[in-house]
Amino acid sequence: MSAVILTDEQREALQEITNVGMGQAGASIATILNEFVHLSVPKIFILRADEISPSIVSLVGDAEVSAVRQAFHGAFRGEAIVIYRNQSHTDIADLMGYDPDVDTVEEYELILDVTNILVGACLGGVAEQIRADIGFSAPSIMAEHIPAGRLISPDEVGSAWALFVEVNFALEGRSFACHLIALMPEEEILAVGKALDWFMETL
Amino acid sequence: MIHPDNFPLLKFVVDRVEVGIFAVDQAMRVTLWNRFMAVHSGRAADEVLGQNLFDCFPELPRKWLEKKIQSVFVLKNYSFTSWEHRPYLFRFHHNRPITGGIDTMQQNCTFLPVRGDGENVNHVCVTIFDYTDTALYQGRLKSAIADLEAERSEQRILIKKLEEAHNQLLQSEKLASIGQLAAGVAHEINNPVGFVNSNLGSLEKYVRDWARLLDLYEQAEECLAPHPEVLAGIRDTKREIDIDFVKDDIRQLIRESKDGLDRVKNIVQDLKDFSRVGETDWQWADVHKCLDGTLNVVWNEIKYKADVVKEYGKIPEIECIPSQLNQVFMNLLVNAAHAIAERGQIVLRTGHERDWVSVSVSDTGVGIAPENINRIYDPFFTTKPVGTGTGLGLSISHSIISKHGGRIDMESVVGSGTTFRVWLPVCQAVQAQGSPG
Repeated sequence: MSAVILTDEQREALQEITNVGMGQAGASIATILNEFVHLSVPKIFILRADEISPSIVSLVGDAEVSAVRQAFHGAFRGEAIVIYRNQSHTDIADLMGYDPDVDTVEEYELILDVTNILVGACLGGVAEQIRADIGFSAPSIMAEHIPAGRLISPDEVGSAWALFVEVNFALEGRSFACHLIALMPEEEILAVGKALDWFMETL
Repeated sequence: MIHPDNFPLLKFVVDRVEVGIFAVDQAMRVTLWNRFMAVHSGRAADEVLGQNLFDCFPELPRKWLEKKIQSVFVLKNYSFTSWEHRPYLFRFHHNRPITGGIDTMQQNCTFLPVRGDGENVNHVCVTIFDYTDTALYQGRLKSAIADLEAERSEQRILIKKLEEAHNQLLQSEKLASIGQLAAGVAHEINNPVGFVNSNLGSLEKYVRDWARLLDLYEQAEECLAPHPEVLAGIRDTKREIDIDFVKDDIRQLIRESKDGLDRVKNIVQDLKDFSRVGETDWQWADVHKCLDGTLNVVWNEIKYKADVVKEYGKIPEIECIPSQLNQVFMNLLVNAAHAIAERGQIVLRTGHERDWVSVSVSDTGVGIAPENINRIYDPFFTTKPVGTGTGLGLSISHSIISKHGGRIDMESVVGSGTTFRVWLPVCQAVQAQGSPG
């Protein structure tokens, strides 16, 4: 079923573009944080609504997490979710210009800031590859301290299918790690497909 | 950059809009400063333009803000702050000098990358929206929600109490119906016991008369000497039935039967006294009578497990609801018997101290584990096997004793036994005057 939504060619192109995009993102983030960032090779799936939550659990584990969501819009539209293991996000406070001993409220602002940078860098990097113009909403806290499997419930998902792209981040020499998941609804997958076709033609 | 100076309408709007707008270049020099910023900061545009932002406003959180602005330059991407996490960027007065309620204007900020030549970002523009009203409204909403939450948790406690009361009511209704049943059965038993008792009285008299007549006949046996074969027949029969034994035993049998009937009558009476569960009248009663009556009712449960030792002191009658106290004593006695694994001892002690009477039930049982001590009065808490205990006995006892203005103390040593001591006020008016023990 998923093969119908994106052709093999489109899928390969998307993988290639996201790979390059993540490389650029890693460089930009390193400039901001002054630390080397490990980014995983993006994993791309087309999933049914009820497969989203199990996929999150298989990638992130079912530990308690906090998550921040940020919408993107423009050439293509969707939502990015950055998932943080609860113990690790204060570890980068100083890199973001915060006092190392952040309080709870500052901690929330910190993960909002980090989310904005990761989402902006990664999706911005991908958009730049295909010369697409995208914008972002302000990030907002989606969930605090809940099992990863309860972040998204299938009946809340408004689309039967979704494009699901996962990248994870780790900082060299620090415990900080998080996962970025970009989700796009069914109708946007077609728009992405068209953008990919255009990109391949212009190569 | 499309500078507003080149577009009079745009310049007017940017300057006069009720939103703070300023911009900085890569060196953090201020390149745009609208009227909102000037009015609220007290620094006119010509004082600020071209100056380093942090030289003009040293109170700004420099390290964080530089990082934030840098990320916008590098990623060519928006960034945001929200009043919920960072109430303000600039410490501006809020717009309610009279109605007040909040000390600083609450701000949502957006940092937007300004691409001068379409590619590179050479300014970062910051917009500052006044969210004070929203913050105040949210604050009120939060406190209203907190109030509601508090009310709800109180309600939850009340509902739990109500549930407990309901369960106790169910249990006591069950006990009341068992009580009625017992009273009915006792009444039914009383009738046959009554006529057996009276028949036995007659029987005793008839047997006495019969024996008197038999004695006369025995004395007349000598007159039968001329008829040796008749006499021999009589003597054979007397030997055969062991007439001397029968004469003794028949009296003893009747006496024992009468004792047995008396015991039946007593037990039926105790059952009737005990089963007045529905009775809620306060009356003066002898605690020892209550204890003995209850002991008779539960004797069957206890006699194979424990020897009961009574160490009754001299105590006055107390004002109480006897049937309810019976229920408490029954629970304590049955629990004591259940706590004893093989065979042990149950000691009942009573005492009198000022205006209080105490009744203690001590057993040589297994004791109560320390982790369970705080839960023994909880409804439905039981350590007995499923189906054996309801977990309501001590809970009901506790509420009965509380209703009497008394209290229950407990001492337990695992492996050597438990003592429950019930303190009861002699009269109900004394309740307010200090505590016992």
